[in-house]
Amino acid sequence: MRSDLIIGMAGSGGDGIVAAGESLMTAAALEGYHAIMTKSFGSQIRGGESSCRLRISTQKVLNPGGTLDVAVALNWEDFLKFGAELPVGGHTVVIYESDTRVQPDKIPLEGVIPAVALAVPIQGMAKEHAGTEKAKNTVVLGLLVGWFGLARDGILAGIRKKFAKKGPEVLQGNERAFGAGIEFAAAHPIEGIQGMASPTGDKGKNLLVDGNDMCAAAAIFAGCEFFGGYPITPSSEIMQFHAREIWKYGGTVLQAEDEIAGIGAVVGASFAGKKAMTATSGPGMSLKTEMLGLATIAELPLVCVNVQRGGPSTGIPTKSEQADLFQAVFSAHGDAPRPVLAPVSVEDTFGVTVEAFNIAEQYQTPVIILSDQEIAQRKETVPPIDTSVYRVIDRRRPTVNELENYVRFRVTESGVSPISHPGMKGGNYLASGIEHNEKGAPTASGEMHSRMNEKRIKKLFPLKKRRDLFYIQGDANAPLGLISWGSVAGVAMEAARQVQKEGIPVKIIVPKLLFPVAEEIYQEFFASIKRGLVVEQSHQGQLYRVLRMFVDVPAGVVSLAKSGSNPIVPEEVVGRLRRLSLALQRGRVPESEAAHD
Amino acid sequence: MSAPTNPYMAKDYKSDLKPIWCPGCGDFGVVTAIYRALAAVGRPPHEIAFVSGIGCSSRIPGYTTAYGFNSVHGRALPIAQGIKLANPSLLVLVAGGDGDGFSIGGGHVAHAIRRNIDLTYIVMDNQIYGLTKGQLSPTSHRGLKTASSAWGSLEDPVNPLQYVLGYGAGFVAQGTPADMSGLAAIIEEGIRFPGFAFVNVQSPCVTYGEEEAQLKAQKERMESLEKLGHNPADRLRAMDLAQAYGTKLYTGVLYRNPTPPPTYEGAVKARHEELRASAKPKAQILDMFAPR
Repeated sequence: MRSDLIIGMAGSGGDGIVAAGESLMTAAALEGYHAIMTKSFGSQIRGGESSCRLRISTQKVLNPGGTLDVAVALNWEDFLKFGAELPVGGHTVVIYESDTRVQPDKIPLEGVIPAVALAVPIQGMAKEHAGTEKAKNTVVLGLLVGWFGLARDGILAGIRKKFAKKGPEVLQGNERAFGAGIEFAAAHPIEGIQGMASPTGDKGKNLLVDGNDMCAAAAIFAGCEFFGGYPITPSSEIMQFHAREIWKYGGTVLQAEDEIAGIGAVVGASFAGKKAMTATSGPGMSLKTEMLGLATIAELPLVCVNVQRGGPSTGIPTKSEQADLFQAVFSAHGDAPRPVLAPVSVEDTFGVTVEAFNIAEQYQTPVIILSDQEIAQRKETVPPIDTSVYRVIDRRRPTVNELENYVRFRVTESGVSPISHPGMKGGNYLASGIEHNEKGAPTASGEMHSRMNEKRIKKLFPLKKRRDLFYIQGDANAPLGLISWGSVAGVAMEAARQVQKEGIPVKIIVPKLLFPVAEEIYQEFFASIKRGLVVEQSHQGQLYRVLRMFVDVPAGVVSLAKSGSNPIVPEEVVGRLRRLSLALQRGRVPESEAAHD
Repeated sequence: MSAPTNPYMAKDYKSDLKPIWCPGCGDFGVVTAIYRALAAVGRPPHEIAFVSGIGCSSRIPGYTTAYGFNSVHGRALPIAQGIKLANPSLLVLVAGGDGDGFSIGGGHVAHAIRRNIDLTYIVMDNQIYGLTKGQLSPTSHRGLKTASSAWGSLEDPVNPLQYVLGYGAGFVAQGTPADMSGLAAIIEEGIRFPGFAFVNVQSPCVTYGEEEAQLKAQKERMESLEKLGHNPADRLRAMDLAQAYGTKLYTGVLYRNPTPPPTYEGAVKARHEELRASAKPKAQILDMFAPR
């Protein structure tokens, strides 16, 4: 039996490939499997090609995996458009529409001979049993259940639920199509195929959610009562979630006229005393930058989510990338560091979002969450989260005594001063983007500017001690190191686990806090490191370079970085680690992979 | 104007900060008119949020005792809307110059109007960029020679009055510090208007402004709309009169919607009441992600 199954499917827009993936995910989640599903589309609004890949496992899965175990092509033209997103290898079982009239030994996959290539009359079966081509995806579900023994009852229940609304004829047609798929598989056994092992998780306990919805729900949990933003792929679902839910909690959504007004309203809501957030992607982030500077100098808490996509400019809006780290860390005008956090999975997005609000409120600062399209839009099974372990922090408001002679920007030991808001008697002050003295009065004094910069920068230093914002795993003395962040960290974690099993001494560090850079935590990690990789999805290797700016990174640690939309898969990281390990044993410098400076 | 029972006097809204404005600047008159209007309305200073952008006139919140917010160039309106939506019980004033409102921030005005959030937006219109030392502004007239238009402007000005009327503002007025009591009265009326209110103030720049824009010249040119017998409920007539922006100086209320539409925050309140009962406890918010 197999414990892990990676399925990739592609077709044209109307084929229902993504709907089939959703059905499979729901059934897998209900039965207690762990699963991840990513969807990918051509850039057309309707129609065009669409694909999904699912990874179903009996163990927790951290990434969508590499080479497919099963590839389903409803037509080759669409399948091939996804290129490296749907990689076929020597062990892949390829199932494709026989109506394409492609012979199994002529399938258009260059340089690959899959284990099995099977032409199946998917369209014909759909027409025959359901009377419509629309049931093609239901036939595919039947085939997968038949060959891989996946969640049959759960899928059937899902089909019944989905089609019940459409009348008995459609429902029965789909039931027949599903059955036909199963029978076809039974009649055409694939030699050596391994069925899926039973799930290990509890039935009916898992959540099934994507990163954007998780982020918005976590924000409400953390006390967010205002969202201001502007639609932009791939972050719009955060606004859309709030537009459905936040009202129930007394909150308000403003779909603003532009990105600047969106964060402007958030700055206003925060000034008025409410926890507030905005969400955007790269180009929108550029527009919000001035307002982030305002929030820094006015010391107003807010959370700004950047769901990264391929850039610069419009770039590749529907694909993931991690190339906005420089922007998040350095785009401020003036001396304006601000905390930057990144989740590594959908599950992690809950804690990271709550933490972002807590940090924003506690330190009176804008906080950037760097999510990415991969996490934001992939569906993931999430084990139940015990929300009671999460603390929710509110901003420090002035006491009655402090309001007697209120000093908004009082320079305190911690750099944090009590913050009032309109409506609070005695707390009246001038918030401003202009430099100000402790009372808030505008000033051009260099001395005061230095003191205020010191206050605003120093107050963030305690964050550098936050070990809980780092995932560190492996033997503390290991000479091999892996560093990764965001969605790609899931790939690095899996690779580390795998090579550790092979006895290769590797440890891994994944920062959820990207900025301020926690120098000591890295320094400690690097103490034993002779060779290592910083794995991330950007052309320049942005985390690698930020680390080198703040930390003494050992010379043997190099960047493994690729532009977005080029998947980084565990196999590749494993291969690099094995080579580094060999080089270490032989005391040689590995082939030149150092970054070009 | 202020009722005898009113607990606040104009001076209660005046802060200790000394304005940076040039002696004789029109904005001194505007801030005084605002003190008077606020005293007439009578809300305590801590229940007032006063937001501005950047420019000479945008220094104004700091000269009041309200909660002030001297923000970034052109973005006072979005910030003010966030404040009002976060706490609708506040009195929210917004102020800035013509550049702030009709150039860099011009895109926000239309949307503040159509949302009809209850704000009062006071633009100190001096047809010049004073803080940056005398460049063209969006309300500068064609041919005007400034630091940035050595050979004269090649553009026609924005007409702020038609602009806001065109987008459906419910309250539109114009005033000048040359008529202090009239200015205080329209600001007060704008504050009392239930929805977005716009007050254009011809507030001359003594340093870079033209001679005919100065208060002395204004006193001779200004014409009271009330005395002209204008009916502020007549939107078409208001549009017509607004055409004279730049040639005539009408003062008073140009348009007041007799049946103001609902405010955004009013609709939000109704929605809160409607949906509150369907909220699950926050600790269980993730339950909605259980697969079905």
